[in-house]
Amino acid sequence: MAEAHIVQQGATPAAAGWEPRIIAFLCYWCSYTGADAAGTARLKYPPNVDIIRVMCSGRIDPELITTAFAHGADGVMVCGCHIGDCHYISGNHKTMARMPLLKRTLVDLGIEPDRFVHEWVSAAEGEKFARLVREVTERVRRLGPLGWPQRMRERGVGCGMSLEPWGA
Amino acid sequence: MVETPGSCSGSGNEHENGARIGVFICHCGGNISDVVDVKRVADEIGKLRGVVLSTTQMFLCSDPGQGLIEQKIKELGLNRVIVAACSPTLHQLTFRRTVARAGLNQFLFEHVNVREQVSWVTEDAEAATQKATRLIRAAVDRVKHLIPLDKRRISIHPAALVIGGGIAGLVAARDLAQRGMKVTLVEKQPFLGGRVAQLHTLFPTGEDARDALKRVIEEVVSHELVNVITNAQILDSEGVVGDFRTRIRIEPRGANSQLRQRASAVAACPEQTINEFDYGLSQRKAIYMAYPGCYPPIPAIDWNVCTKCGKCLWAVGGRGINLAEQPREMVLHSGIIVLATGFDPYEPLYGEYGYGIFPRVITLQQLIRLLDPLGPTGGRLPRNDGEPTRIAFIHCVGARQIEGVNQRQPDGKVKDYCARTCCTGALHAALEIRRRHPEVMITDFYQDIRTYGRGHETYYEQASEAGILFVRYDPRHPPRVEGNPKGDSPLLVRTSDLLTGGLDVEMPADLVVLATGVVPHDISELVGMYHCAVGSDSFLLEVHPKLRPVELAVAGVFLAGSCQGPMDVTEACAAASAAASKSAALIAQAQVEMDPFIAKVDEELCTGCQTCLTVCPYDAITRDETRGIAVVSEARCTGCGTCAATCPSNAIQQFGFNDAQVLAEVKALLQGAALG
Ligand code: FES
Repeated sequence: MAEAHIVQQGATPAAAGWEPRIIAFLCYWCSYTGADAAGTARLKYPPNVDIIRVMCSGRIDPELITTAFAHGADGVMVCGCHIGDCHYISGNHKTMARMPLLKRTLVDLGIEPDRFVHEWVSAAEGEKFARLVREVTERVRRLGPLGWPQRMRERGVGCGMSLEPWGA
Repeated sequence: MVETPGSCSGSGNEHENGARIGVFICHCGGNISDVVDVKRVADEIGKLRGVVLSTTQMFLCSDPGQGLIEQKIKELGLNRVIVAACSPTLHQLTFRRTVARAGLNQFLFEHVNVREQVSWVTEDAEAATQKATRLIRAAVDRVKHLIPLDKRRISIHPAALVIGGGIAGLVAARDLAQRGMKVTLVEKQPFLGGRVAQLHTLFPTGEDARDALKRVIEEVVSHELVNVITNAQILDSEGVVGDFRTRIRIEPRGANSQLRQRASAVAACPEQTINEFDYGLSQRKAIYMAYPGCYPPIPAIDWNVCTKCGKCLWAVGGRGINLAEQPREMVLHSGIIVLATGFDPYEPLYGEYGYGIFPRVITLQQLIRLLDPLGPTGGRLPRNDGEPTRIAFIHCVGARQIEGVNQRQPDGKVKDYCARTCCTGALHAALEIRRRHPEVMITDFYQDIRTYGRGHETYYEQASEAGILFVRYDPRHPPRVEGNPKGDSPLLVRTSDLLTGGLDVEMPADLVVLATGVVPHDISELVGMYHCAVGSDSFLLEVHPKLRPVELAVAGVFLAGSCQGPMDVTEACAAASAAASKSAALIAQAQVEMDPFIAKVDEELCTGCQTCLTVCPYDAITRDETRGIAVVSEARCTGCGTCAATCPSNAIQQFGFNDAQVLAEVKALLQGAALG
């Protein structure tokens, strides 16, 4: 049902000069180092993804992600160490359980699944990180601006109350 | 020095909470400034509330660069510092120290990565400049929420526990003792020596393996600071770096030093079992010595085999044997732990290269036992009606396997890593055979010869010169071992030889030797106990393969030898010495310093739901039953932040990454983004 709603609503036609704004949460040990590896290899990727580092992907609270969307992010990425490689043994097991649930919730809240990406990136996978950034940016660009607060107001989520960005 | 005039004046720029922020942007000699317009960034940032100084410099990590930061902190009374430069993985520590030198708390500092994640990855200069500005702006908002933090200090009990009495554990214990540290060495088996005792000679020096071992054992057991406990099983362990308490159970040995007539006791025993020391090639008694000259030089009783018939007791007149001896438990207190739990040779699956089907298919380990003059055959190779005349070696058995080609192991994976020791080991043994029996024809089936170590390549050269025939097989089509219908030799090895452009080779063999790989010794209980990280190859995983190669992520636990990956004796000893010096250095500090990014429970908000207890990978959270709230053990917490993300009441915050800090970053990055 949620999907149907999104289709019907369609993507907002991208305004001229609009650029996707994407926030990426990366764990420090693997994925952040992987992003560094992309730089060391001088791989090029679009400038739309801004990285926030946390010590472990297990720290990535769903609230951080919803806050990003509520403040105008058009896409969010979450990257952590591959399963088995987490610096804190099993922090990423929690990520693995949490993110698919969150994704479903986000879809129900009117956010297209392509706007939220959860991937494992190891310290050696600079190539993969660069590719991921390119792909995600392209997908989000095709979807157009999200404007989630506006979308929520239109859909009447929250019993018709205007939904201000949290913590604004 | 490049300063940006104008942006230095920040009068009235102090933030309402009193933050006086200094922002330093590095050119990195052009690495950053060739793409990012650093001056423009500095100007933009200089306009932000709370920013007292925003400036650029050619190389901030240089002495003048660090000097500038120090000077400005003092001169302008900065109480927050931001450096936008290379990756924090490179210089975060450098700048934290700089900040500390200027008298500011080192955690009132934020490092922004504008090189690896901006200038090096962005094509468009304008976009890069904007991205750099966004990232630094986010840091400005983030640092306003920083609070001064102290490194955690934990004092260290000056004693070490080494687990594993093989060559690595012995070397680690010896090195620690020689540095004046008290050491307890525990070994699960009744005898010390581990896998090296089962070797005959060592490459690349050719020296006698047991001689070398004996020397180390003597150094260890004669040292007054070392306490050796054999037959010891680790039951559980608690505590953290500086203060580990490990409970062990010592199985009864059954014999003690009063036993004089050792040989008679052994001879009197009527029970036989497979001798694991000879990899099943011989039998031993229920009361036994592992090998001639083993330590302790006292027989041990294998209780799985002993029937307590008392014959040994009779033979020695009752002295020195106690069949009713009970196990004992004790708790060992140590500041650090060295894991030296070693490896097991890979055991080929039934039918793998004919193993288990044909008795003449043996492993390299078994061949080494056969070549040993003190081995089960007194150094002779097996014969039916004469010594074997044709021997085939097959390399990479249970190593460098390929998914889809090789059969999966019971754990569902293939052994895809190189076992590193088997190439040189196989050639070492092949040359030994050639030396003793020049008439034997030796064929060596390999994928690649990896005689990588110093002096190892000589074995390959010598083997080629000695007429050992090399056949290179394609790993996607490994050789097949079959029975030989013609009957001159019982076995036939078939493959196609890449060296001759794929010619089919059919080699009769009297003996097929499988150069098998290595797997870590099963220590799943220890892995759980010490929260060790384990790699995809099942070996223990160090913090960083180059920069911190013998440390586990758990503070105070070190790795020695082949529990960490395949190693030869040289490498295992080097790793053990490294682990010993790292741990000795830690003990010598008397205290450890740890990053302060741990979790803290807000007692007001905590509802005692215990969700955090279930997610903590380190069991660092407990429930205070009287107050009904969660409590984080400062020493145990490693600062992953998982509990902070999990707490449904937002009662847990992680220092350095609390909600206010990270949310400020999110919001600042998205400043100006369309909301609809
Ligand atoms: S440290 Fe990377 S996911 Fe835990």
